[in-house]
Amino acid sequence: MSDTFILDRNHLPYWLRQLRKERKLIGPMRKKSGDIVYEEVSNIHEIELNCPAILPPVKEFFFPATEAMLRFKKGNVNDNIMGTPAVIFGLRSCDVSALNLVDRFFGGDIKDRYYTKKRENTLLVSVGCNMPDPTCFCMSMGTGPFLHKGYDIQLTDLGDRYFVEARSGRAKNIMNKFRHLFGKPSKADYEDQYEAVHLSQTYFEKRINLEGARNAIVSGAVHDDFWRSVTARCFECGGCVYECPLCTCFNVIDRKYDGTVERARVWDTCMFKGFTRMTGGVLPNRDRIRRTKRWYYHKIVYGPEQIGTFGCVGCGRCTITCPGVIDMATVGMKLSKGVDNS
Amino acid sequence: MDKIYTICPYCGCGCGLYLHTTGNRVTGVSPSRSHPVNRGTLCVKGWNSHEFINHPDRIAWPVRKTDRGLVRTSWEDALDITASKLSSIAGEYGPDSIGVLSSAKCSNEENYLMMKFARAVIGTNNVDHCARLCHSSTVGGLSGAFGSGAMTNSITEIDEARTLFVIGSNTTEQHPMIGMHMLKAVDRGATLIVADPRRTQIAEFAQIHLRHRSGTDVALLNSIMNVIILEGLVDIDFVKRRTENFGGLMNVVNYYTPPVGARITGVPAEAIKKAARIFATQQRSMLFYSMGITQHITGVDNVRSCANLIMLTGHIGQPYSGLNPLRGQNNVQGACDMGALPEFYSGYQKVSDPASRRKFRRAWGTKVPDKPGMALTDMIDAIGKGRIRALYIMGENPLMSDPDLTQVREAFRSLDFLVVQDIFISDTAGMADIVLPAASFAEKDGTYTNTERRVQKADRALRPYGEALPDWQIICRLANRMGYPMSYNGTYEIMEEIALLTPSYGGILHHRLDENSGLQWPCPDMNHTGTPYLHRKKFARGLGDFIPVEFLPPAEQVDDDYPMLLTTGRMYFHYHTGTMCRRTSTLEREEPECFVEINPSDGKRLCIRSGQPVNITSRRGGLEVKAMITEKTPEGTVFVPFHFREAAANILTNPACDPEVRIPEFKVCAVKVEPVAGKKTTRKPEEVDISKFWIERE
Amino acid sequence: MKRVNIYTPFRAEIKEIEKKTADVNLYRIALPKRIKYSPGQFFMVSVWGAGEVPISITSHSAFSDGLELCVRKAGFVTSLIYNAEEGTDIWLRGPYGNGFPLDIAGNSDIVLIAGGIGMAPLRPLIYEFTNRNKKYGNVKLVYGSKYPDDVIFRDEIEVYKQMGAKVIVSVDRKNGEWDGNVGFVTDFLGSIKADMVSAVAYVCGPEIMIKNVTRDLSLMGMPHEKIITTLEAHMKCGVGKCGHCYAGCKYICTDGPVFSYKEIREYQLMQAWEDNK
Repeated sequence: MSDTFILDRNHLPYWLRQLRKERKLIGPMRKKSGDIVYEEVSNIHEIELNCPAILPPVKEFFFPATEAMLRFKKGNVNDNIMGTPAVIFGLRSCDVSALNLVDRFFGGDIKDRYYTKKRENTLLVSVGCNMPDPTCFCMSMGTGPFLHKGYDIQLTDLGDRYFVEARSGRAKNIMNKFRHLFGKPSKADYEDQYEAVHLSQTYFEKRINLEGARNAIVSGAVHDDFWRSVTARCFECGGCVYECPLCTCFNVIDRKYDGTVERARVWDTCMFKGFTRMTGGVLPNRDRIRRTKRWYYHKIVYGPEQIGTFGCVGCGRCTITCPGVIDMATVGMKLSKGVDNS
Repeated sequence: MDKIYTICPYCGCGCGLYLHTTGNRVTGVSPSRSHPVNRGTLCVKGWNSHEFINHPDRIAWPVRKTDRGLVRTSWEDALDITASKLSSIAGEYGPDSIGVLSSAKCSNEENYLMMKFARAVIGTNNVDHCARLCHSSTVGGLSGAFGSGAMTNSITEIDEARTLFVIGSNTTEQHPMIGMHMLKAVDRGATLIVADPRRTQIAEFAQIHLRHRSGTDVALLNSIMNVIILEGLVDIDFVKRRTENFGGLMNVVNYYTPPVGARITGVPAEAIKKAARIFATQQRSMLFYSMGITQHITGVDNVRSCANLIMLTGHIGQPYSGLNPLRGQNNVQGACDMGALPEFYSGYQKVSDPASRRKFRRAWGTKVPDKPGMALTDMIDAIGKGRIRALYIMGENPLMSDPDLTQVREAFRSLDFLVVQDIFISDTAGMADIVLPAASFAEKDGTYTNTERRVQKADRALRPYGEALPDWQIICRLANRMGYPMSYNGTYEIMEEIALLTPSYGGILHHRLDENSGLQWPCPDMNHTGTPYLHRKKFARGLGDFIPVEFLPPAEQVDDDYPMLLTTGRMYFHYHTGTMCRRTSTLEREEPECFVEINPSDGKRLCIRSGQPVNITSRRGGLEVKAMITEKTPEGTVFVPFHFREAAANILTNPACDPEVRIPEFKVCAVKVEPVAGKKTTRKPEEVDISKFWIERE
Repeated sequence: MKRVNIYTPFRAEIKEIEKKTADVNLYRIALPKRIKYSPGQFFMVSVWGAGEVPISITSHSAFSDGLELCVRKAGFVTSLIYNAEEGTDIWLRGPYGNGFPLDIAGNSDIVLIAGGIGMAPLRPLIYEFTNRNKKYGNVKLVYGSKYPDDVIFRDEIEVYKQMGAKVIVSVDRKNGEWDGNVGFVTDFLGSIKADMVSAVAYVCGPEIMIKNVTRDLSLMGMPHEKIITTLEAHMKCGVGKCGHCYAGCKYICTDGPVFSYKEIREYQLMQAWEDNK
């Protein structure tokens, strides 16, 4: 169960400032160009909370696009596992849901310490989405706009105050330290919170039935011609993978800086033909159609089989970043509506 | 983690992106959502543009050539040697014995300083850059026809266009984010006409794909105009009010009836007619062209034909319709604007015009040379003849990018002094007497002008690598040493000087560029908000000039000895001479080696299979590459990308140049292709599809 | 154990290099500590500055003190390993992968079919199955190579025979002196005289060979779950994180590399096979 609180809007900066004393504070900030990005917060008053799907997702704080893993010098190996205590403020339900899935992937029996160490040291303070973007479809995926479980701290914007829910153990511990800032929610607060949750659902423009898409594929109704038409529009930019909060494929490269070898990992994309190239040049996935299918199959078909859930949280980032308009929402919609194979 | 706004260092789209930095390292890249060109998207090169910045191959300190090869030296030493060498050569042989190559990869400020360095410090107009090799025909052709050589429209206008005519541009691969806008227009119902010998990705979306023979663009365009005139589809009002010499055009175009056009170009007459009708009758028609038009000995003629077509149909001077050369480098438009050209000061003010000379002489406080200088291709020739003794090259790699590399290399050996300023030891820097380490795009601030004339500001994300310095600081230090004081507190001060001297940049200052993704020139004063489309109400030169052109065949024709046409170009995963992209793991992994695209029927005839090594030979040299059998390339033509230093396509290309603007004919030359003797197939063929292999064996 | 970094390799020493063919070497490696590994597993072998490659284990831990790896010079990293000298360090991670299932062999006939370097992972199986203490069935090995010079374990064939295995060695094409069999391994499946319906087969070799052999074995009546093979894939991590070897819905590195023909078909692990069905 969650502990619930009420936070006066005017007390939020104070609370964040206190949190920042012990941890790095990361939040959505507006840049001069008008974009909103997650970065380390310099001025708390500049935090911008009116943008649900921010490019890129917060996965890069746990799994950066390039990360030095090992350094080899004079016969010794040093691993470069970092994990500065941090708090990410203002991320969304889809982000939290995605991290929970990635936790299962990088955690589990074989732990990727580079990811888990950062994750263990980071507190997530998410904000539910009163007003989703036109690209969002988290409601269809059950990963938003508000979460019932799996979060650290979730805020619901009630105008002049925030309804605060602390779920995880560490979140509850932290809340204990700031008891003086938070009030006990009244019945009216609960009602307002319910209304916000209820109302936000009416704002979704996209409803994507991935279950229908999955059924279409599994039943064999989708022929390669459909995938050919999807592939023809692919720019091979890799953006869908780079922006996906769930995609975690990486390549490992060695670089020699005089005397030191640095083994680093960089984000990689299954959409590229070289992704599966084997020694000697054999390319199991030379065919572009097969590569496109691979990504969608992994997310739509194998996800439910393997981990019991779709490999998509409905954040809509691929919709924003795909130049060819063959993102998950578009393709999922087409698949679920019945594919014209002619 | 900090996120710093900058402009993508690859193509002319000029996408806005953020560099993510931790410490003094870039850890990632993300696109800007508010940027009008990329709108939250990037191509694969943009997504991976962070990796080369920290590459161990970066030059960390100045380097001097000795008998033991390139050795480390100090800045003092390197600059002193450079200054004294340049001074003494200028003193002995005259300032015109020195050539300066500026860079389309560097910022506007740096290009301005470089041309100032050439003109005010050395005292020569011999300053040029790689636009000579890509869009000099545009600058030449359009300044004649319209009075201004740049993309007339904005990229965002593409979304709303009704007809897109793309000629000689592989847009989705070479300007992916412009390709994205084109796709969007097509999705909204626009008609796409593509004229390209190769079946490119954009051609897959075209309603009409005209596969004309390489080098027959003038004939194709004249034939289209012939149909338009004959069928009464000319925008008569526009022609009367806004243009001159329509009669001249008619006289020439008359000959190019669709059957004649079909015979020369190989495109069916019906297709020519259909394209002409669609293009002329639709409102909001935009024409796009790129290297396929410009890199010919008839480059200027090709551009003029495009301009004629646009004026004939009145598709200019309004939003959503116009003539749009797609510029290749991130700042090639800016480098031209800044006057890194032998005949122009910044803002295309002519060197030959006494009034402009007076203006710059007074501003710079020194004499300026009056004779237009040598173009890049002419400088290379002049080296061989001993008229150029020293070259100062900033961020360019002519030893990969120029035609007939064997000759170029020979010429470079005879230089008295070569100084190269770069971020990596390129092929050119490898031959230099002094290499000055420059800061990469992430390590300096400055402005870049993209293909739609949008002047954008990029911020500094990192401290320079090692002892590297931003190019503008290197130029200043060198100028100071050569007795011409140059001191600026920052790039914003250079920009102020540019604005003062350049009418079209008059209102462009750094503080105005932070918001709204910059300003599109012409922006003459501080209250002006930029110009989204050009030639409104009147052309820059007044009336648009129809300059009729006759079809001329390419300089080199196929014959019995060299029976195939070679066309060169770029591929999606790589960029130009490969100094950056080939040091990016993902890009290099995707396309690790050079190949030649051969049509299946040619492959069958020559007994060449995919993956097999073949020799390509032209009159100038030969190379061994792997064959790739594909329908993309038409019969009789082969295509080789020019990114690979180990198999440099420019060994083959013809140095014949357009007589006016001296652009070499990269797109056509005659070659022969033969399987490498003794090697039937490689033992482990690279990139052989397993499934194919399996069928053969059964 | 929680603090272990799965990506950090450990140092081992190349004790001995045995040149097997023109491009294949056998490396005897001294491990820093006793590591238990089983047939069919692999190690990630590191060359600092070049990268890591998965190499399958050629030795049987019960019969060898250290570790034996068979490396063919094929790519960048393997070329560097190929040029290594005795006494140099080599960096390893592993063992990884599931290994060959041994219990399904029971006491029925055991058919081992190897092609080229594919003999390397099957070699420990010969030692395992000819172990008289364990009461396995008869072991029959068909070992094909491209040319006579490519027969990697030519010198050991007599040893296998002495251990009780029936061995057929063949080459695709003969050159020089070769009085043995000529033909593809599929040509000799009949001559080993195994009871294919009850037998179990372990197959390893180039992908095309695996495809042909599995097809023929299944035509000869062998149940698909008893045709065992080991797959090859581009791998970067070996521990199911990097995603390169993901095929069908399996990670070749952690769910494999050993799969039965049944699994391969069920999960569509080899899409190239699907296309030509």
